[in-house]
This record gives sequence, structure tokens and C-alpha cells, in this order.
Amino acid sequence: MREAQFESLRLELLRSGVTPVYVERTILELTEHYCDLESAALAAGLGADEAARIAHDTLGNERAIAAAILTHPELLTFRTRHPRVAQCLQSAVTIGTLPGLPLLFCIEHRPELARWGAAVGLAATLMGSVLAALNWLIVMPF
Amino acid sequence: MAQTNPPFLTGVPELLVLRMLSGREMYGYEIVKAMRLVTGEAIGFGEGVVYPVLHALEEGGALKARRKSVNGRERVYYAVTTKGKRRLEHLSDEWRRVSSGVNSALNGNGAGGDPEHA
Repeated sequence: MREAQFESLRLELLRSGVTPVYVERTILELTEHYCDLESAALAAGLGADEAARIAHDTLGNERAIAAAILTHPELLTFRTRHPRVAQCLQSAVTIGTLPGLPLLFCIEHRPELARWGAAVGLAATLMGSVLAALNWLIVMPF
Repeated sequence: MAQTNPPFLTGVPELLVLRMLSGREMYGYEIVKAMRLVTGEAIGFGEGVVYPVLHALEEGGALKARRKSVNGRERVYYAVTTKGKRRLEHLSDEWRRVSSGVNSALNGNGAGGDPEHA
């Protein structure tokens, strides 16, 4: 698969914080562009190796392409462009979510909680009855 | 000169891409071929660097992209938006203004005269 040859570029871009949508698009377009260049060279009568070399040289090296992409901050993720703001937002969302988690847990585990409630209620009733009976027997005047 | 000129320094690839796309929608390889043709191959660059320019223009709303399958190949076609047309006009005006100033300087109309005899 042609796209495999740009795998190191893909990883470098993702590591550098380029938006994944643009990373995937770039790899797709570079792959197609490479194929077009190679086809044109082959059509011009060059051998396969020479055509591949020319396609690679014409497209430019991956380091230069990565550097060109990184000069456009609008292609980077919000987290990469504004790390402090992203961190603050993440903290705010986490703090806002924490109180809601038990509620979400309850909603998701309704049957288990109902069974658990019934069991605890039954046990409490049974224990209460036993204690009441014992109490009645103990205080019973003979 | 009253104003600095960042578009002149950094806007040439944008200008060329927008100009190529002002006639019809194209995909990356076509755009580069058209650029080489109309500039007489005067501008040399690794062709892969056209994609960040296209993506940045799209992100800025100057271009819109659509995927199209052609003969089993996945192409991404770009077309200029209304905002892109305005941007092209602005960049073209900037380029004409600045290149006119540079030409004027090269033709010896500079206020300092010939630097060798200064």
C-alpha cells in the first residue's frame, strides 16, 4: 500500500499536534500525488526505479513537508495551540462532571440497585422483627 | 512606506493557489501542474508543500474541499469560495503594489540614488 511510505510523516504530524483530519487528508493527497508523478514518469518512458526516484524528488522530502505544515497554526489541534486554556477547560469539565457521576452510575445500574435495596430492606425487616421479638421476650413479665 | 507587508512575504503561495483555482475546481496535482505551466517553472518548490497551503486556506474559509472518486482514485477537489475571491483580490492588489515599488527601485527611481556613488 502506497500510504505506508508516508507512515513516518503521519506519526510525526500526529506527535506534533496536527489535527488528525488534516493528517489523514495530507497522507491521502500525498499518496495520490506520488502515484500521479510516478505514472507520468512511466508514461514518459522511464524505468520503474527511475520513475519512483523522480516522483519522490518532485514531491519533496517528508521533513520539508512536515515543516511546511507546522508553519500553519490553524492546522494544529486546539490543545497544541492553547495548552493552558485546554488544561483549564479540561479541569473545569472534570470538576463539573464529578458530582454527576454517582447519578449516572445509579441510572445505569438501576436493576442492581433495586435488588440491593430490596435485599437490605428485607434483612432490616427480618432483623428488626427478631430484635422486637427478643425485646418482647426479655421484658415479658413472668 | 506606511505599512508593513506580511502578505507580500508569506502570501505568494496563497496567491498562486487561489489564482489557479479561480477558474475551476482542481485537485493538488492539477494545481501544481497549472502553476508550473503559467509561471514558466520560474518558481521551484517540493510539490508536497502545496497541501498545507490548501488546507490552511480551507480552514480559513477561502476554499472548500470535496472528495471525489475518479477511476478508482480518491481525489480531493478544491474550489474557491466567495471569501476566497475577496482574498485573491486583496492579495493581487498587494502583490501589484509591492512589485510596482520593487520595479521602481530596480529601475533607479529610488530616493537614495545609486548606492555605489553614495
